[in-house]
Amino acid sequence: MLETILKFSACCRAYRFNISTAQTLDCFEQLKLINPVDETEFKTVLKTNFVKTQRDAPHFETLYNLFFHDINVSSKTEVNQDKELKDNVLDALGEFAKQNNDPTYDVLMEFMQGDPQDYLGEISDMHNQLEEKQAALKSNMGQLAMRLDVMLKINQLRSRVLELVKGFGENAAPESLENIEKHFSVLFDKAYDILTREPKKDNVGLKDVKNTEDKYKNIGNKPFSNLSPDEIEMTRDVIDQLVRKLNDITSRRFVAKNKGRLDIKKTLKDANKFQGIPVHIHYKHKPLRKGKVVTLCDISGSVWSASRFMLNILYSLQDCFSRVKSYVFVSGLCDVSEIFEQNDINDAIDKVMNEADIEYDVPTDYGQTFAEFKENHMHELNSKTTLIIIGDARSNYMNPHAEILEDMRFKCKRIIWLNPEPLASWDTGDSEMLTYKSHVNEVRPCQNINQLCAFIEDLIL
Amino acid sequence: MDFKNVEDVQSRLESSNYIPSREISTVIFLAQATQKPVLIEGPAGVGKTELAKAVSRSMGRDLIRMQCYEGLDETKALYEWEYAKQLLYTQMVKDKIDHLISDVTDINDAVAKISSQEDAFFSEKFIQPRPLLKAITSEKPVVLLIDEVDKSDPEFEAFLLELLSDFQVTIPEIGTMSAVSMPFVFLTSNNYRDMSDALKRRCVHLYIDYPELHTERQIVKMKIPGIKEELLDKLVQTIGNLRKLDLKKKPCISETLDWAKALIALEADEISPEVLRDTLNVLCKYKTDEETVKKHIESLV
Repeated sequence: MLETILKFSACCRAYRFNISTAQTLDCFEQLKLINPVDETEFKTVLKTNFVKTQRDAPHFETLYNLFFHDINVSSKTEVNQDKELKDNVLDALGEFAKQNNDPTYDVLMEFMQGDPQDYLGEISDMHNQLEEKQAALKSNMGQLAMRLDVMLKINQLRSRVLELVKGFGENAAPESLENIEKHFSVLFDKAYDILTREPKKDNVGLKDVKNTEDKYKNIGNKPFSNLSPDEIEMTRDVIDQLVRKLNDITSRRFVAKNKGRLDIKKTLKDANKFQGIPVHIHYKHKPLRKGKVVTLCDISGSVWSASRFMLNILYSLQDCFSRVKSYVFVSGLCDVSEIFEQNDINDAIDKVMNEADIEYDVPTDYGQTFAEFKENHMHELNSKTTLIIIGDARSNYMNPHAEILEDMRFKCKRIIWLNPEPLASWDTGDSEMLTYKSHVNEVRPCQNINQLCAFIEDLIL
Repeated sequence: MDFKNVEDVQSRLESSNYIPSREISTVIFLAQATQKPVLIEGPAGVGKTELAKAVSRSMGRDLIRMQCYEGLDETKALYEWEYAKQLLYTQMVKDKIDHLISDVTDINDAVAKISSQEDAFFSEKFIQPRPLLKAITSEKPVVLLIDEVDKSDPEFEAFLLELLSDFQVTIPEIGTMSAVSMPFVFLTSNNYRDMSDALKRRCVHLYIDYPELHTERQIVKMKIPGIKEELLDKLVQTIGNLRKLDLKKKPCISETLDWAKALIALEADEISPEVLRDTLNVLCKYKTDEETVKKHIESLV
């Protein structure tokens, strides 16, 4: 039992679960208290100790089924002859792997023998591997080629098993041969599944806002990308109005710190310092704390039309936040906070498009952007930061690096993703919205001024 | 009384009007046996708080509840000095203090004499215990429910972490106070924000989802014993269908119960699209949700 649990926890770690030694020890302690033969109880002990958030539950289910059902359990009805045949096939496969002297064959052999840890680790590393920067042509061929290589090796082992089974044919019963073939086929299918289908996180707390109130008629529902110059001016007026209204409401809220009911306890406590004379009066109304906002804006193509209005509003409402930090990106990332701090909003928006240190004529690469953010700007995120990402999540089939987005989620309070595309286009073509959706706290369409206003009001009020 | 095994948890929770799944019973038993807090996650209204209440009822323990919110601090959660009482007492015993220092001539001596008595004013008499201190100092073991912990600030979470690992608090003027009896701690979260890894590691984790059809059927039957079987079947099925829709706020168990009561009050023997339309305000809390349900009303019933 000890050995099995240790192996299972090692597999979980290889699959990006953070499991401490204390958690494994707790697991052993608790297994003594239940009936380990009862699968529900056994699985609950493992789950309650290893899965500390429901987001990880689908990965745990996959691993649990793989480890305890698919690869490690031999059938009770398995006859000796089957076992002998299976061992013979494994030995022969082992020889084949040794001759080829390739580490991928080695991890696949361990997987076949019931120890999937290294295989899981290799696949996990492969998913998360960053592409080396190339000067001219950019692609994610490195990762695809590696996957293809593993696929080919699985197929080679599969055909080798078939050959071997055929070779044993004369001396074994047809039923046994069928069982062996089935056994290995299931294992190869599993290895293939792990390689090609990563389970999605169960993002239980996701706030998925799809419908918003039609506050402004006509212009309110017109997509940002279709606005004429006159309509852009009208939109700016609407934004000015909204900003004034929100500034009024929030300033009233912050002023309220000097009003409200008297806090007798605090006033008396403070009065002790002045021989019981209440020099400082305390009130019960506390102003809400201001949070920090970090924005990542895609400025490619149609997304820019939404981003600029969003930045316009955020910087007009700067007083509502302790700090606003902004980055724009296409493939690389550029900090434009200073441009906004030093210029008038409309000038700043023009400057971002003309002066920001960024390549505009390259395909958008969200994975690369996240990688750059992780490397250079991760310190900007803390437990009081709200990260707002505006983008269509179209990453031109590059590696989306959703695991970096997940790291970012753990560093900040909330991640809100605003997508300027119509809902129907999400998850089509090269859009990675479905992948990113499982790592953020809130997703919203942000196609027109109604949707943008609803979001801003929700954020501020 | 402590639980003996998983089956014991199951039966005692059922007799406390809570129908647990096998997984819930196992987690509760493990948490109690290893004296670890339980961190319960799940959508609003699936019975997270109710589970803590049911456990307190079934164990015969008092429930101490602390609701978390943004800005919650130690003075609201742990303890606070009763300054007004201290001030009042100093005024009342002023003569005694004067008498105490009447025979000294030096200020230093007077201060030394008074400071030797300061324990009288910084003692447990002048402490106003808040839920966490109450749970720790209670003679009888209690169930402590820290509700919606995800709404509290990260600072408070860090403080909680310290408390949950040692079950002791240090009050600078008095010293360290350790738990007299171990409280059974429940933390609930609606996933507004992620809790820190350190806190999660100290707890056993439990996720409660919307109940399966047969469990929800049992719950309704237990809470509303007079409900007709056919109506009950149709009711839980319709609620199940409603939860499959893309709603802002999916109907939870309490809404199922409210709807069942509403249907009985209206003397509705069966659920037709018309009945659903008329009683939709019991199930939907948002206008947009009502519109979505109305669009699919024929396929729901």
